[in-house]
Amino acid sequence: MTRPVYILGGYQTDFARNWTKEGKHISAMIREAVEGTLAATGVEGREVQVGHVGNFAAELYAMQGHLGAFLVDCDPAFAGLPTGRHEAACASGSIALLAASAEIEAGRYDCALVVGVEQMKTVNPAVGGDFLGTAAWYEAEAKGIEFPFPKLFGKLGDEYDRRYGLKDEHLAHISAVNYANAKRNPRAQTRTWYMSEAHACGTGDYNAAIGGRIKISDCSQVTDGAVGVILASPEFAEAWAARRGVQLDHTARLAGWGHRTAPLRFDDKVAASAGDPYVLPHTRQAILDAYQRAGIADCWALDGIETHDCFTTSEYMAIDHFGLTAPGESWKAIEDGVIDFGGKLPINASGGLIGAGHPVGATGVRQVLDATLQVTGRAGKYQIDNARRVATLNIGGSGTTSCVFVVEG
Amino acid sequence: MARTIRKVVVLGANGAMGSGSGAVFAGAGIPTVFLARTRDKAEAGRARAEKMLKSTAVSAFITTGGYDDLEREVADADLVFEAVAEELAIKREFFGRVDAVRKADAIVATVSSGLSIAAMCEGCSDGFRKAFLGIHFFNPPNVIVGCELIPHAGTAPAVLAEVRALLDGPLGREVIETSDTPAFCGNRVGFKVLNEVAQLAEEHGPAFIDALIGPHTGRAMAPLATIDFVGWDVHKAIVDNLHAHTADEAHAAFALPAYMQRLIDAGHLGNKTRDKGGFFRTDGKGKDAVRLVLDPATGSYRPLADVAVALPPFVAAMNAAIRVGRYGVAMDAMCEAQGPAAELMRKVILGYVSYGLNRVGEVVERARDVDRIMGFGFNWAPPSVLVDAIGARRTVALLERAGLPVPRVVLEAAERNLHLFDEPEVDRGRFFVASTLAA
Repeated sequence: MTRPVYILGGYQTDFARNWTKEGKHISAMIREAVEGTLAATGVEGREVQVGHVGNFAAELYAMQGHLGAFLVDCDPAFAGLPTGRHEAACASGSIALLAASAEIEAGRYDCALVVGVEQMKTVNPAVGGDFLGTAAWYEAEAKGIEFPFPKLFGKLGDEYDRRYGLKDEHLAHISAVNYANAKRNPRAQTRTWYMSEAHACGTGDYNAAIGGRIKISDCSQVTDGAVGVILASPEFAEAWAARRGVQLDHTARLAGWGHRTAPLRFDDKVAASAGDPYVLPHTRQAILDAYQRAGIADCWALDGIETHDCFTTSEYMAIDHFGLTAPGESWKAIEDGVIDFGGKLPINASGGLIGAGHPVGATGVRQVLDATLQVTGRAGKYQIDNARRVATLNIGGSGTTSCVFVVEG
Repeated sequence: MARTIRKVVVLGANGAMGSGSGAVFAGAGIPTVFLARTRDKAEAGRARAEKMLKSTAVSAFITTGGYDDLEREVADADLVFEAVAEELAIKREFFGRVDAVRKADAIVATVSSGLSIAAMCEGCSDGFRKAFLGIHFFNPPNVIVGCELIPHAGTAPAVLAEVRALLDGPLGREVIETSDTPAFCGNRVGFKVLNEVAQLAEEHGPAFIDALIGPHTGRAMAPLATIDFVGWDVHKAIVDNLHAHTADEAHAAFALPAYMQRLIDAGHLGNKTRDKGGFFRTDGKGKDAVRLVLDPATGSYRPLADVAVALPPFVAAMNAAIRVGRYGVAMDAMCEAQGPAAELMRKVILGYVSYGLNRVGEVVERARDVDRIMGFGFNWAPPSVLVDAIGARRTVALLERAGLPVPRVVLEAAERNLHLFDEPEVDRGRFFVASTLAA
C-alpha cells in the first residue's frame, strides 16, 4: 500500500440482541456502534473527518435508506460530516472499509469512521430469505425459491464433491469448531447455544436439511448487529498513539487488500472455472492480491484467519483458496486440526458467521475489528497466542464479490 | 485440588429446574444421570432437556433412573445436584441418603432459591457439609446464564473454587457469589420491585402500573407480567420468606397484598393456570383471543382494551428516545417529569437502585455483583447502568428528595464523578427497551 492505513480500534454490538424485540430503529444500532467506537478508541467526535456505512438491505428489512446520514446525528461534532453508504451484499462492510482506506491512502482525510450495520430480525425467516435472494441474480436464482442461499452454497459443496469428493462430516467439523469458538466470544450470537460435532452430523427435526446438503448446523445466523472502526493516516495514528501512551508499532494497520468480482450467477462462476484447480478463482485471486500487497508469500505468514463462513461450504472453500492445502484437499487441514483454536492456523477464533453471527452489512467490519483485536492482543478469551498478522475474507453473494484484508500489529 | 467433574447426578430431574440444569451439565459434555421418582419421569426430563437444547445428540451424555437407583448412581458421582421440591424435610431426606453413600470428595449442590444453605445440611456429616453449597440457576438455565453461587459458613474453600471453575468454564455461566441470606441477591432485589408494583396495582390498577413501570424503565418484561410468568405461588413463597426473615428498609415492600392471597386461594396462579389467569389472562385463541386484566378489588377480569390507561406524555418521550438509542435522553425525561405518575416511576426505579446497591456488604461484596445478577439473571438494567445513565450526582439528589437511602457506592461515584457500571463486555443499550404499548 502506498501509505499505511492504521486501525485504531472499534466496537461491536452484542450479536445476540434482537433490536426489534427491543423496540428499536436501525439508527439506534448505528448510534450505539458510533458511541462505542469513539469510547473504545478515545477518538473525539471532532477528529472524525469522514464517515462510511456498509449495509446490504435496510430498504427491505427496515424500510430505510440513506444510512450515511444517520452518522451525522450521532455526535454533536459530526455536523456537516461527509458520509456515504456502500452495498455489495454480504461484502458491504468490506467495501465501506475499502472506500475509507482509499481516501486515507490518497491523503484526502486523516481519520475515517466506518460502520457496518444490518437489522435482520424485523421479518420472519422466509421473508428474510427472500430478501437475501437479492444478493444473487434474483429473477434467475432466487425468485419463488424458498431459502435460495442455502441451496446456492449447497451447490458449491456439490461442485467440490464432483471435482474432488466431499464428506459431510468435514463440514460438520467446521460447524462444531465455529460454535465452540463462539463460546469464548462474549459478543457472539450463539455463545449460549448447544452444538456438537455429533449434532452437526445428525439430521432430523432439530437439524433439518434446508437446501441440498446444507443443514441448519451448516448455516450462519440471522443477526442484528452493528460494528464500527476508526481508520487513520500515519500522522493521525502517531499523534493518537502518543496521547494514548501506546507504540505506533503495536497499532494495527491494513497491510494489504484484495478485491475481485466474479459473475453474479453461481452457474456462470462454476462454468468459468472449469479446468481451474480453484472452484472460485476470483476469490483465490483476491487472496493472492492481498498477500502480494502485504508482502507475504503465503498463508503460513498468517497467525489467524477470519473468513466468510455463511455456510460450512464457504469455509471449506476458503481453506484451500487461502492455500492451507492444495486445491480440493481442505479436508486435510480439518482432519489435522490446523483450523482449530490452538491449531497451526486457527480460522474464525471469533466463531465466524456461523458462531458469532452474520449481520450481513456489518460482517466485513466485524472481521477487521476482530483481526485488529487479535494483532493487538485484546481479543480476551478468544485471543490467538502471539498473533501479529491476521487475514479476513468477506464474500458478497454466491462467491461473487470477494474482499480480503491483511491486518498487522 | 483441580479435578475433572466426570459424573453428575441430578435429583428431581423431571422438574423445570432439574431437567434444565441437567441440560446444562449434559450440554457441556459431562455424563449426567437424571433421577426422578420413576424412570419414566426422568425420561420426561430427558425429553425436555433435548427440546431445550434443540438436539437429540445431547442424550448421549444423559442416562436416567428412579430414586431406587440413587445409592448406586451417587456412589461414584463427582457432583450431586439436588432439584427436588422446595421443602426442607424432603431435601434433608435426600441429603441423608446421599451422605450415606457419596464418595469422600463428591460435591453436593442445591438449586434452592429460598431455603438457607446452612439449614439444609444441618445434621449431615462434617464431610458432607464441607462439600455442600448452593448453585442457584435461573429458569430456563440454558438461556439465562446468570447464576448465584452460595457457600455456607462451613463450605470448604476448595469446593467453592472448584465449583466456580466449573461454572465459569465449561458451563459458560456468569457467576455471582452471595452470602447465605434469604433469597440470596437476585430474588431479594428483584422481588422487592415486583411485589412493590403488585402493591401499587391495588390503588392504580394493574394495567396502568404495568404500563408505567414497563420495559422503558429497564427490563424486557413488565413487572406484573413477570409475576404471571413466574407463577403467583412462587412469588408468594419468595416474598413471604423475605418478609419473615429480613428486617431492612424494604420490609413493608415484601408484604404480599391481601388481594393476591385471596386469588391464590381461589387457584389464580398466573400463566400456569390459563383458565383463571393472574394479573392478566387471555381468553380464546388466535383472532378471537381477548386479553383481560384483573380488578384487584373485586377479583374479576375485564377486557384490557376497555381499560383506559392514560400515561403521561413523558412516558412516550422516554419510548421515543429509546427507540433511536438515546438512553440518556430517556432517563432525563424520567428524572425531570412532574406529576404523580413521574413520582411513582421514580419511587420504584430509584427504590430499586437504592435497595439493590445497599445490599453491598450484606449479601454481596461489590456493586458489580448486584449489577451482574440483575443483568444476567433478571435481564433488568443493572442498578449501576441506571445510575450512569441518570448521572451519579443527579441520582443522589433524586434519592434524597424521595427519602430513599443513598448507597455508599453511589455517593462515591458522585463525589469522584465516576461511572459505576464495570462490565465492558456488556452492551448497556440492551437493557433499555421501547414498550410497544406506548409506541
